[in-house]
Amino acid sequence: MSAAQVDDLDLKLIDILSRDARLSNRQIASQLGVTEGTVRGRIKRLQEDGLIAFTAITSFGLADRSKLALIGIQSDATDARAIADRVAQMPDINAVLVTMGRFNILAVCLFNELSEVHHIASEQILAMKEVHHVETTIAVHTIKYNARIVRITNDAAATDKGD
Amino acid sequence: MPVNEPPSIDDIDLAIVRQLQDNGRATNKQIAQNLGLTAATVSARIRRMEADDKLRVIAVSDFSAHGYNILMEVAIEVHGRAASEVAEDLAKMPEAFAVHLVTGRYDIDMMLVLKDFDGLKDMMLSRIMEVEGVRSITPTIAVDIIKYQFDVAPIEAGDGS
Repeated sequence: MSAAQVDDLDLKLIDILSRDARLSNRQIASQLGVTEGTVRGRIKRLQEDGLIAFTAITSFGLADRSKLALIGIQSDATDARAIADRVAQMPDINAVLVTMGRFNILAVCLFNELSEVHHIASEQILAMKEVHHVETTIAVHTIKYNARIVRITNDAAATDKGD
Repeated sequence: MPVNEPPSIDDIDLAIVRQLQDNGRATNKQIAQNLGLTAATVSARIRRMEADDKLRVIAVSDFSAHGYNILMEVAIEVHGRAASEVAEDLAKMPEAFAVHLVTGRYDIDMMLVLKDFDGLKDMMLSRIMEVEGVRSITPTIAVDIIKYQFDVAPIEAGDGS
């Protein structure tokens, strides 16, 4: 991974915007003691470099899919990337990592009913010929979750509109 | 149970949220034009949803903007202490961005970020293992992030201020 070119002013800007992205450039400029043009230019560059994205996070979506499951998948290492790509296409899967360790792939699924997890893990993923083993872990309580620092992927904008 | 019943979100609210999911920096005026509303309506509805802790319009930043280059999942076995207490201690680490109590073979699942592999030994052997009640740790390292999409998240009261 290439090192990002981010200085202290960028980090302060990110910190302010990560609390409230509705602030105007002018409000941010006066907080940071820089010009409005600087704020506008920095935001543009950070967006273009894929270092920040603006979005709306809702809690009411939790009414539909409030529970989280981790789905660990074991396969031959050479098949991991292809399987991960297919799992990433599934609408209820929110994150897919290719990993080294207990599993080759780790997927995060948000769900409401246990039957939904079973359907994804045991009916869809386990049905793939290249998959050797699937292990599902259910999160019963979330102690901490920081939604502000993420991996910004190219398809983020597209999948935003998913549900 | 009127006490627990959240103030309802209607179709106009949802339409505004969709606009904000596409572009959180769109002005009230732009959103109003797209939806055939007034800017004042858009502004008031956004403020109400934020006040009710139903919505946050935020910048999300990439791991790399903070110098975090390594993403790991750590499965933890607990012994001799309530798992929730151990999880609370683990959650205090700034590198931990998700800590869940889980069912199954392990008791806690934690997602954490590191700047580089030099920090790995200290994180695993000292900082995590030294938390009282941690019996074992099983790390899994992400070598590639194929998908990462979370626009639904618990919003804590006062979270945005």
